[in-house]
Amino acid sequence: MRMFATIAKLLVKRVLTAIPILLLVSALLFCILRILPVDPAAMSLPPNATVQEIEAMRTEMGLNLPLYQQYGIWLNKLFHGDIGRSIHFRQNVTSLIGSTLPATIELAVIAMMVATVFGLAGGLFLFYVRGTRAEAVMDFVSILLLSLPEFLWSLFLLLIFGVFFEVLPFTGRLSPGFERPLVTGFLLLDSLITGNIPTFLNALQHMILPCLALGIALSPSLMRVLRSSLLDAYQDDYIQQARLRGLSEKRILIRHGLKNAILPTLSLMGVQFGFLFGGTLLVEIIYSYPGMGNLMVDAIRNADLPIIQGAGLTYCVAVLVISIVVDSLYLILNPKLRVR
Amino acid sequence: MLRYAKGRPLPLWLKSGRVQTGLVIIFILAVCAIFAPYLAPNDPNEQNLLSILTPPVWADGGDAMFPLGTDSLGRCVLSRLIFGARVALTVAFTASIGAMIIGAFFAHVAGYFGGWVDWVIGRIVEIWLSFPPVILSLILMVGLGTGLRNVVLAIILVDWTRFCRVLRSEVIVLRRRDYVSAAQLIGFSHWRTITREILPGTLPLLITLMSLEMGVAIIVEAILSFVGMSVGSETAAWGQMIADARQNIYEAPFNLIAPIFAIFFAVFGFNILGDGLRRTLDTRLTQTERT
Repeated sequence: MRMFATIAKLLVKRVLTAIPILLLVSALLFCILRILPVDPAAMSLPPNATVQEIEAMRTEMGLNLPLYQQYGIWLNKLFHGDIGRSIHFRQNVTSLIGSTLPATIELAVIAMMVATVFGLAGGLFLFYVRGTRAEAVMDFVSILLLSLPEFLWSLFLLLIFGVFFEVLPFTGRLSPGFERPLVTGFLLLDSLITGNIPTFLNALQHMILPCLALGIALSPSLMRVLRSSLLDAYQDDYIQQARLRGLSEKRILIRHGLKNAILPTLSLMGVQFGFLFGGTLLVEIIYSYPGMGNLMVDAIRNADLPIIQGAGLTYCVAVLVISIVVDSLYLILNPKLRVR
Repeated sequence: MLRYAKGRPLPLWLKSGRVQTGLVIIFILAVCAIFAPYLAPNDPNEQNLLSILTPPVWADGGDAMFPLGTDSLGRCVLSRLIFGARVALTVAFTASIGAMIIGAFFAHVAGYFGGWVDWVIGRIVEIWLSFPPVILSLILMVGLGTGLRNVVLAIILVDWTRFCRVLRSEVIVLRRRDYVSAAQLIGFSHWRTITREILPGTLPLLITLMSLEMGVAIIVEAILSFVGMSVGSETAAWGQMIADARQNIYEAPFNLIAPIFAIFFAVFGFNILGDGLRRTLDTRLTQTERT
């Protein structure tokens, strides 16, 4: 019970601090995009519009008001769930983001799982080979891996498995001809709910390369932190105590070493997963994956301000949510923080 | 440098194999960038529409005039690769120096003065971190407009927090040292205490971070030029080459491999240099960890 109370307290505190952060972020976004030399009024009219028509549109869009008033109006609309209409797609930004966000979340969540599995396995392996010659080799390999960002991994995997061996698909979420069930927008989930196994398997195949690219790119930093946390944990007396009690090395590692070393790794994961969410943008473009990253880049190419603002804000919310979730997990796993 | 020539032993950090590897790679890249017009076999922008997408010279149908083949407009891949090193290295050096100056300044101010100054700077960093770096730099590029100078500016504005966060905690540790208190008692000004007493202590970490930041800057530039938000199309850049080659991935896969490898090679050089410097310069590491 006490644990729930502490976690609830942390959640309230974190959400309360997230609000001013989001307000400032939105102000920052608004200002950056208003210094653009692009005139949104002229862009939303046909090219043969007269100067008077453009002027009328400017008044209608509130562009002749002082900047802080414009921001106030924008913010007020934002609270009512209205981020404006896309100039290019002529659709509500909210519905555009709503239709692309699930795809991005799906990609990010599975990639995080891949990163966690690789990170934990790699970290344990690095720790296991400590002091041997293999350690020096692995250490070097981990620097090599650190030099390959998700951007290069995506292209690399695409070349190997998509082009040379042609074993996996690398464009979009589904192959043509597959029926796309629509319940929640999360394709894997939807196809399972509707019992459409062929679609599920096809969608899964499309997820393999992008998720591997994101996951592998993230794992070396997790490996290195887990290794050094394990090394730190093994300096403590309780490991010796456990050895004296005659516990097996495996039990010591899992029950005593890993349990303590997982915490610093977890707190790094919070930051890293936030970065991973941003990294989906590149991966989506490379794999023509119809998520928020592709929407954002399309918007940037067309100078579609409402989408850039909306999508930028959504990315920030995602990062804040991820860091709050990871912090709560940290609290659940760390008994030292619970007592206070 | 002259003093070492007179038979003195090399400083510890230069003996590290990692540092040497990194320096050699950076030297090769720097030579490519500086002497690009002499090294490149062709004009990087010259289009040979008669020989489009030729394979590298060792493959069937390769042309000795274009050692690594040509792209979809018939431009020499090797020449574009060599000229691309110019953009990459310019961005790497200027952006990391800029980010280092801003980040180090705020880190030292925050760590040294503490209190509300530290609080305000800490909150600013927090706001910055709630933006994924890729997203923030793209949005900044939309606001600033394309061009080499703006790429550098965007990277500085995004990445100064990397320096600020890490250096701040280092400054807080150093500030409590006796020699800093002594300097304050003698009546050194705050500026003098920071630059003369604290900065020498944070310098190793600062240099290490800068080396890593150069690798990051190269990646960010490649990403920006990949989505067409970096230098204009008249300048050869590695990210652009990737975007271009992706269109013809089946006909000319090698065009994609070449710039990927170039980026990897450069980033690896800066990373291994940074890792080597961290091992030899970081005073907190034990002797065993260093070897």
